[in-house]
Amino acid sequence: MHNIIENLQQFWTYTGFANCNLQYLIMIAIGLIFLYLGIKKEWEPMLLVPIGFGILIGNIPLFPGLQVSVYEQGSVLNILYQGVKQGFYPPLIFLGIGAMTDFSALISNPKLLLIGAAAQFGIFGAYAISLAFGFDAAQAGAIGIIGGADGPTAIFLSSRLAPDMMGAIAVSAYSYMALVPVIQPPIMKLCTTKKERLIRMKPPRAVSPTEKKLFPIIGFLLTAFIVPSGIPLLGMLFFGNLIKESGVTKRLANTASGPLIDIVTILIGITVGASTQADQFLQLRSVFIFFIGACSFVIATFAGVLFTKFFNLFLKEGNKINPLIGNAGVSAVPDAARVSNNVGREFDPTNYLMMHAMGPNVAGVIGSAVAAGMLLGFLG
Amino acid sequence: MKRIKTLLTVVGLTVAVAASAQSQGQMRLNEYLVINTDDYQDDFGQQSSWFEIFNSSYGTVDIGGCYLSDDPNNLKKYHIPSGDVMTQIPKRQHVIFWADNQPKRGTFHVNFDLENATEIIFTKGDGKSIIDRIKVRHDLPANVTFGRAMDGEGAFGPEANGEGWKVMENTTPSTNNVLVNKAAKPDRMKELDPYGWIMALTAMSVVFTALVILYLLFKTIGIANIKAGQKKEAQAAAAKAPAGEAAASKGTYGKVSAETYAAIATALHLYTVENEAHDEESFVVTQAATDRRYTPWSTHIQGFRQIPDVKRSK
Repeated sequence: MHNIIENLQQFWTYTGFANCNLQYLIMIAIGLIFLYLGIKKEWEPMLLVPIGFGILIGNIPLFPGLQVSVYEQGSVLNILYQGVKQGFYPPLIFLGIGAMTDFSALISNPKLLLIGAAAQFGIFGAYAISLAFGFDAAQAGAIGIIGGADGPTAIFLSSRLAPDMMGAIAVSAYSYMALVPVIQPPIMKLCTTKKERLIRMKPPRAVSPTEKKLFPIIGFLLTAFIVPSGIPLLGMLFFGNLIKESGVTKRLANTASGPLIDIVTILIGITVGASTQADQFLQLRSVFIFFIGACSFVIATFAGVLFTKFFNLFLKEGNKINPLIGNAGVSAVPDAARVSNNVGREFDPTNYLMMHAMGPNVAGVIGSAVAAGMLLGFLG
Repeated sequence: MKRIKTLLTVVGLTVAVAASAQSQGQMRLNEYLVINTDDYQDDFGQQSSWFEIFNSSYGTVDIGGCYLSDDPNNLKKYHIPSGDVMTQIPKRQHVIFWADNQPKRGTFHVNFDLENATEIIFTKGDGKSIIDRIKVRHDLPANVTFGRAMDGEGAFGPEANGEGWKVMENTTPSTNNVLVNKAAKPDRMKELDPYGWIMALTAMSVVFTALVILYLLFKTIGIANIKAGQKKEAQAAAAKAPAGEAAASKGTYGKVSAETYAAIATALHLYTVENEAHDEESFVVTQAATDRRYTPWSTHIQGFRQIPDVKRSK
């Protein structure tokens, strides 16, 4: 009897209840909020559901040494986490994104590329703010990339520049991507006049298959020559697009845009979530990261919309761009473009901006990958 | 088939050998010490002349099978044994060879010494291609090394003239000639640009430059494409209709918007859905299978496998 009681006592020390403290409960609450937002509100469910559940997995209070935590070498979660830590999940996601992205809107109206470039001010605005908050340059670069509004890029760069902050940065980036419909509309309305919001853009011309095939090849060669450190992301993005557009590798394109990206999304979501263990995550600097992340989205939206207005000064009547698509320069695809469309239709229900906004939106993906390459080159 | 296999094998081997040779070509003589009285000791507690080789590549390089020599007329003087795991030099790492004329002491003890050498020559496994060479200076004081100012940088190859080498302030066997602090890059950046404006302006100009060039390229390609399309269209129209009518129809290519095509596709899609003529593939305009049973395309005879006649020799 004595032995049984002793065994039960020993077992109790292994349970989550015995090791629990307030920090774990806070993190579990955050995970539940993510799940609520993903499932009930359907905000980026593909990301928030795996991340939310990953937060639950990573914050079950553990007796140390059980070889189950994401940070314990050799554990299953640790092995899966290597894809995040070593940075090989993000390029695979980019492969899938490339295979899913239609660059037609951009090719038919290539000046929209410049809006995608302007929105990258969010990254460097956040970089400057991070320096002012006392982060070192590498950490500031990793935080700044939240402004690129691109989860895989944020994970890729933070795994290189500030691995210890990767959990907070990834969660922040994905959270704000989910919050794009909340953050962007007030800024878009603030920066535009009623007349500007009613601008009807020229319908995009039909793009030939040859142009679609040339775009990933030329796009890659050009951007990779300029920023070689961005090759993992840019290479996979453009390669994914080439297998889609080439027309002869349909099976590869289907795999990249279907099962492969789904598998990697599950793995990246669950492991990033699990990496937010309370002792690593609940720190004052995480609060700063979230604050700076919010600033970066605000700056990026301002920069995109204001740049479009500025650009319009040089365009002839009839060729003008509706500045409501300026917000889409942040690369939260396709949410930011959807926001442009919805806000545009609030003022003119027959003005569909979705296809036009997809131009700067996909340009933002290229722009943020180039910006990430720059940061890696300077700080890595 | 056999010929193709042979060809593939030969090509594969050539590529492998070329790749291996290419990697060995990244090795550099990096530092040497002629008179060693109070410096690094070997595993036998002896202080002898030594020289260091540096792997300047970013991959592991196996130097097994290469040659070391102090004699330009005998490049194969010391053969580095193959198959020793220690000859696999990791990326950006160094290896020390003891020039003590005691080759029986192991892989890293060569059969010449630097006090009597005029130069050190490092040669590939073919015994002919010189990877790197350096003249041995005998004017150096004891325990003072001569090495590359930056690891792996400077002149190399058969015509190497010692450019990039200098008398070292400290001896650095098996370590970098210049210690590079990994954290220095971000620190330097913060020192240089405490507010982040330089970084912002530099990086944004690069992002803009990349995308502006892409914009210009695709604007040009777009215009060329429209012109080529219009030309083709005009040629097609000219072939079909009399000259006057062909001229009138010229120039619709590229002016039809994508929205028009989207509208046509949507109309077709809706038509096929409403008429239940559409099968399971979404977003693809398809034709449903016909219900007629005796169409030649679905006849059972076409579906049956034809059993071939088997001819057996007796």
